[in-house]
Amino acid sequence: MEYPDNGAYMVAAYIVTAVVILVYSITLYLRVKKHRDR
Amino acid sequence: MTRRDRALQTARRGAVVMGIALVGLAGIYVRALMFTPIERTQGPAQKIFYVHAPVAWAALLAFSVCGLLSLLYLVLRERKFDLMAAASAEVGTALAVVMLTTGPLWGKPVWGTWWTWDARLTSTLFTFLLFVGYLVLRNALTDFEVRARFSAVLGVMALVLVPFIHVTVYWFRTLHPDPVVLKPDAPSLPSVMLVTLLSSFAVCTVLYIGLVMQRYALAVLQDVREEEAAGGIS
Repeated sequence: MEYPDNGAYMVAAYIVTAVVILVYSITLYLRVKKHRDR
Repeated sequence: MTRRDRALQTARRGAVVMGIALVGLAGIYVRALMFTPIERTQGPAQKIFYVHAPVAWAALLAFSVCGLLSLLYLVLRERKFDLMAAASAEVGTALAVVMLTTGPLWGKPVWGTWWTWDARLTSTLFTFLLFVGYLVLRNALTDFEVRARFSAVLGVMALVLVPFIHVTVYWFRTLHPDPVVLKPDAPSLPSVMLVTLLSSFAVCTVLYIGLVMQRYALAVLQDVREEEAAGGIS
C-alpha cells in the first residue's frame, strides 16, 4: 500500500517530545536533589 | 513530621511516579511506532497524533489545575494552594512546548503549512504565552503575598481560556481537526489506534502527576529555606 512520504516529520516530533520531557524531568529531579542535600 | 520532611516524602513519591511514567512513555513509543498501523491518507505523520494530543491534554489539564488552585488561593489564602498552582503552571508550560512543536510538525505534511492563525492555534499560543508571563512574574516578585496574589489572578484566567480552546474547533472555521475522543459521540478511531491513544493519555496524565509532585516538593523546600533565611535575618 502506498503512503505519503512524511516519516521524517514523525521522527522529528517523537525526538522533540522525548528530548523536552527527559530534559525537564532530569532537570527537575536534580533541582530537588540539590535542595534535599543542603 | 516537619514541612521539610513532608516535602522530601512527596519528592520521593513524585520521583517514583515520574519514573513509572517515563517507562510508560517508552512503551507508548514502541506501541505507536511498531505495533500501530499507518493511517492510509496521512501516512506516518499521523502517528504524531499519539504524542501531540495526549501531551496537549496534560498541558491543558495543568493549566486548568493551576487556575482552580489559584482561585482557591484567592478565596482561602493558604500558602500551599499558591505553591501547587505554580508547580502545575511550570509543568504545563514545559508540556505546552511539546504541544506547540509537535503540532506544526504534524501540520506541515498534512495541512501544507507549519502554522495558521486560526482560533484553535492562536488561543493555544496565547495561553502558553500567558503562562510564560506567569512564570516570569513569579520570578520578578520577591514578596510572597504580592507574588501569590498577582500570579493567582493570571492563573484564574486559564479557567476561562482552557474551555474556550476546547470549543474553538466547533465555534470557528479552523484547520485543526475536531476531537476524536473528548466529544459527545463515540470515539471515531479503529480500536488498535484507540488503545494506543488512550494508553498515551493515561501515561501523560501520570507523567503530569509525577512532575507536579516533584515541582511542588521543590517549591516547598525553597519556601522553607526562604522562611528560615527571613527568620535568621530578623
